[in-house]
Amino acid sequence: MAKVGASGFPPGEDGSPQYSFALEYEGPPVSRDLPRALPINLKHIPVAAVVAQVSVAEKLALPVVQPIGAADPLAKKVSRELGAADSTVSPTSVIQNSRESASKELDSASEIAASPAASGVAAPVPRGGGGKSSSSGNLSSSGALEFSNANCLSGELSDVVSSSRGLESSSISHEHSRELFNGAQSCSTIEFCDSFDKSAGSSRAFRVSNVGKESIDLDDSNSRLDWASSGSVLSLECPSSRKTGDCTESNHDVRRNPVVTFHDIESDGGLEEEFSREEQEVVRVKRQPQSKGKKGSCYRCFKGNRFTEKEVCLVCDAKYCSHCVLRAMGSMPEGRKCVSCIGFPIDESKRTNLGKCSRMLKRLLNDLEVKQIMKAEKLCEANQLPSEYVCVNGNPLCPEELLMLQTCPSPPKKLKPGNYWYDKVSGLWGKEGEKPSQIISPHLHVGGPIMENASNGNTQVFMNGRQITKVELRMLQLAGVQCAGNPHFWVNEDGSYQEEGQKNTKGYIWGKAGTKLLCAFLSLPVPSKSSGSHVEQSNSLLSRSVPDYVGQRMLQKILLVGYSGSGTSTIFKQVKLLYDAVPFSAEERENLKLTIQGNVYTYLGILLEGRERFEDESLSHMRKNRSSGGNDHIENQEKKSIYSIGPRLKAFSDWLLKTMVSGNLEAIFPAATREYAPLVEELWKDPAIQATYSRKNELEMLPTIANYFLERAVDILRLDYDPSDLDILYSEGVISSNGLACVDFSFPQSAPDDYTDSMDQHDSLLRYQLIRVNARGLGENCKWLDMFEDVGLVTFCVSLSDYDKYTPDANGSLTNNMILSRRFFESIVAHPTFDQMDFLLMLTKFDLFEEEVEQVPLTECEWFDDFHPLVSSHRSNSRSNSINYSPTLGQLGFHYVAVKFKRLYASLTGRNLYVALVKGLEPDSVDAALKYAREILKWDEERVNFSLSEYSMYSTEGSS
Amino acid sequence: MSVAELKERHKVATETVNSLRERLKQKRVQLLDTDVAGYARAQGKAPVTFGPTDLVCCRTLQGHTGKVYSLDWTPEKNRIVSVSQDGRFIVWNALTSQKTHAIKLPCAWVMTCAFAPNGQSVACGGLDSVCSIFNLNSPVDRDGNLPVSKMLSGHKGYVSSCQYVPDEDSRLITGSGDQTCVLWDITTGLRTSVFGGEFQSGHTADVLSVSINGSNSRMFISGSCDSTARLWDTRVASRAVHTYHGHEGDVNAVKFFPDGNRFGTGSDDGTCRLFDIRTGHELQVYYQQHGVNEIPHVTSIAFSISGRLLIAGYSNGHCIVWDTLLAQVVLNLGLLQNSHEGRISCLGVSADGSALCTGSWDTNLKIWAFGGIRRMT
Repeated sequence: MAKVGASGFPPGEDGSPQYSFALEYEGPPVSRDLPRALPINLKHIPVAAVVAQVSVAEKLALPVVQPIGAADPLAKKVSRELGAADSTVSPTSVIQNSRESASKELDSASEIAASPAASGVAAPVPRGGGGKSSSSGNLSSSGALEFSNANCLSGELSDVVSSSRGLESSSISHEHSRELFNGAQSCSTIEFCDSFDKSAGSSRAFRVSNVGKESIDLDDSNSRLDWASSGSVLSLECPSSRKTGDCTESNHDVRRNPVVTFHDIESDGGLEEEFSREEQEVVRVKRQPQSKGKKGSCYRCFKGNRFTEKEVCLVCDAKYCSHCVLRAMGSMPEGRKCVSCIGFPIDESKRTNLGKCSRMLKRLLNDLEVKQIMKAEKLCEANQLPSEYVCVNGNPLCPEELLMLQTCPSPPKKLKPGNYWYDKVSGLWGKEGEKPSQIISPHLHVGGPIMENASNGNTQVFMNGRQITKVELRMLQLAGVQCAGNPHFWVNEDGSYQEEGQKNTKGYIWGKAGTKLLCAFLSLPVPSKSSGSHVEQSNSLLSRSVPDYVGQRMLQKILLVGYSGSGTSTIFKQVKLLYDAVPFSAEERENLKLTIQGNVYTYLGILLEGRERFEDESLSHMRKNRSSGGNDHIENQEKKSIYSIGPRLKAFSDWLLKTMVSGNLEAIFPAATREYAPLVEELWKDPAIQATYSRKNELEMLPTIANYFLERAVDILRLDYDPSDLDILYSEGVISSNGLACVDFSFPQSAPDDYTDSMDQHDSLLRYQLIRVNARGLGENCKWLDMFEDVGLVTFCVSLSDYDKYTPDANGSLTNNMILSRRFFESIVAHPTFDQMDFLLMLTKFDLFEEEVEQVPLTECEWFDDFHPLVSSHRSNSRSNSINYSPTLGQLGFHYVAVKFKRLYASLTGRNLYVALVKGLEPDSVDAALKYAREILKWDEERVNFSLSEYSMYSTEGSS
Repeated sequence: MSVAELKERHKVATETVNSLRERLKQKRVQLLDTDVAGYARAQGKAPVTFGPTDLVCCRTLQGHTGKVYSLDWTPEKNRIVSVSQDGRFIVWNALTSQKTHAIKLPCAWVMTCAFAPNGQSVACGGLDSVCSIFNLNSPVDRDGNLPVSKMLSGHKGYVSSCQYVPDEDSRLITGSGDQTCVLWDITTGLRTSVFGGEFQSGHTADVLSVSINGSNSRMFISGSCDSTARLWDTRVASRAVHTYHGHEGDVNAVKFFPDGNRFGTGSDDGTCRLFDIRTGHELQVYYQQHGVNEIPHVTSIAFSISGRLLIAGYSNGHCIVWDTLLAQVVLNLGLLQNSHEGRISCLGVSADGSALCTGSWDTNLKIWAFGGIRRMT
């Protein structure tokens, strides 16, 4: 308290450093109280107190705990619980004995719960007086209790808490277990030791293990019962055994206290991690005597002997009999691991067993299930070789390097943890200090430079900077390589060799047929066939499937959204064309062709419709003329205008219009194309159509892009038409407009510059996925936007040219498209899923915008009503004069819109909006925009590395 | 008739409809003098109580690496299919808690799945607007994936829900974001009928859920973002048989009551409601008081076999078992020790009613069943 009082006064008088972040107030006296900025006293900040956690435990325990023996579940007097524990009738006196000792320890546990600060002091007491001697000595029949000492968690606050929770239930658990196990009570107490060994000391891990136990327990004894009966007979064990687990755990805790006293109570996550690692090591060591205690019994039910078939946990080496294995291992999401071991790396000595199924599992489960387990075991991320265990040329690998090594065309076989040397030039690979064992793919950027003594040779002959071994030298000599005078060779991956410093190739090691045979004889590696040619190599690199988990990690997702008509599909198609090796398959191209042709027919239909209208208009006009004039009677009798067409074309036109009205144009068209192609040509050349086309501005139905296609209608409607890339970009409805489309791509590696380091190597592994969703499908309520929470960046497209376009809504009133876009933008940005998401605004259709803005002022849209560009009076001059360059109206408009959106975004989120200008039809423009997106994603990753000061700079930027 | 005249008439007609609707609403309020709970209390019905072991989590199905979005039981009672944001569907054996299939889907953004009545095929639908049918018996390809045996394409929006018509392996009803429901013939892959869409009596927003009447498979219910539920007859696609108003938010889940004459709904407004299909009355509201701005959405509902219990999953991770008769909370699975850590996204009761499966955004599924001793009396 005194501290707080003192800290209220400004420092400085007493010589402590003065901070001048505020000026002294010198104005008139203030009437109201000023809020004072009191320095925070760290020690007085309420942190999650120990007691609070205990109370949580009480709450948690409430719904489940109804001790049958004990009186009131609410009265959590430890002494009473102890009584309950004591009262438990146990069949064997030995166990009774241990129980008592355990309960003694429980007592001490309660002490700890009461005064956690004193735990360090209190802890050693039970050890000295407690059950250690009594239990381990007496319990020869079940060595597991002793073993349970190996459990090293404890010290954790949560442990203490859960122990108190466990205590309450100890009685009930025994009730149940007695019923279940017919007096084999010890089982129920001990069976969970294994799982607790590994539960990393954090409360979270406990929860996991708890969960696991429940899932296990229902399986008890006869897991093949059908649902109902197993539900009724077995599930009774569920709650009880859970508590048993806790109870045992509490026992352990107490016993382990001496070990754990150095755990600070406030030890945080990082510490826990460390300790759990250590603990695991300890566990592994300590496990050995245990299994000797009772030879080969199941770790869970303690039945059976070493001859009974058992399944082994890949992490902790726990062995389970066929009755217990499903309960102990749960649904095996990572293969054969105890539930509590899930997520931990496997024991390296068991790596060879990965994916090799035992007979027991095959007996217990059906084929499909076994297959799934083995697949998961082999392919899940936690079971992969930890990259830091593999050292190449003295450097531990990073995950990316290991991945590169494993996914290269000829990877090292059976890669185990250890030290290796790798000759990047020739691809020779071997264990450190040994002769080469294999030739793998050369030029992989893994590990450090090769050491001279990598293979511990002493021949004075060097190959790519490595002193070769005697066996190799012998091989070289037999292969006819001149090795006199201790030469330094430079050997390439194809076996060609030269002396260091010289250019001319002296020969090929593998040139002679006998060499390979010789190598086999000397057990030296020979080049594998796959590394033969480069072409093959690159192919196999592409086809080689990357494991799922890697794909997930390496995939950066970019969501592309925008209001309808904002050009998202154009950008999507452009990306496909830009980065996809085969943007559209033959089948897709065929579909594209049909779509485009269908579209052209639609446009033609619109033209024909317009023609009819124009014809009517002109006829009626002429009629009017005629009635007014009355003289040129005879000429007009034919009822012909420039919009009239011949009867054959008329028939076609009528038919086309009829099909369009009935709405089955798509159904008819692919087939009809063949038939009507010549007719279309005739139609297009008809002056009436040309006349109509010249008035295309009056046809509202005709989209602007129709011009592009109609100009080339004759070409397009030919049978052998092959859509060009530009055609595809222009066309509508090519990618599924009603759903979602996604394309995976990676940026092609830029020209190999000198400064491209390993960083770029990793980049080439990075893949991006562009996901395009249709605005219409999104709906107003964005029901499923939460599915995209894992995207790295949201790209929002807004068509600049929308500012003067309107869409009628349900009531028929017109709304500006830009306003609609803005509304949509707001709803997406404000969506809770994208709380911390970065947004990139792509302003599209700039080319159209530039034209339009000259005719229709930007203020057409009410949101932009304060757009008053400073237009230089002699704009026409400055445009021609590049030196006196002033931005065009279009550019001014773009910047204005961008700022408008930036402000909107900042007001919504307080962060900075990235903006890119895109012309969807220009590949370079889209490429640049996506590279910008990549930079944002990279920056996003890097941002965490920057210090706080950097961050504050960033935040001011956002608010500006 | 001029456009202006038409518009005028349209306006008048809309007003009439609205006033009629208002009158109907008032009349309903007048007639609805009690709800189920009030009546049951008056009759002195005892509430359902659960002991601590009456519903416990007995299995945790781990294996998904993304949020679980949907699950379905087979009628043969021990298998479950679930789909998740990791882009896979997994078929589980609920007894051994092992997977039998883990199949990568062509489109990772999947929202719904359903088991065929014969248990041989699985339907999945999602943001790709396609309902894909997988035959579990067909051979897998090199990467261990099943080929899609049928694509039901035709929706113009995401497929939000699908359900097989009971006892018919070739007919399926889907609900979609394009405001329609569709009855499909799987053998041909074509739409048999489309419910809603252009028709005035269809939903005016995304359909989120469908449920087929178990006793009369011609009738089904759809729930939608327009905060209504509609009853449809598969023989009459042109209009909805009935529209049920009452909710104040998107109707996320609909489920037929076991007797087929009532149905339950779950909504974004945090309530579950029970409607009578014949009278159109809202029989009961199931609502737990919450803070003003923290109303959890109901994501999914299911009835017990008897109909006495309504199980509702909430977006805050709660899973409440309601007594349908007295509208009281029997149990909140979300408060149990080993409950899910994320939003409950889907739940389902096994065909024989012995077990409940919940799927959550914490990537796990849990099976809940009776966990005590059954006293034989």
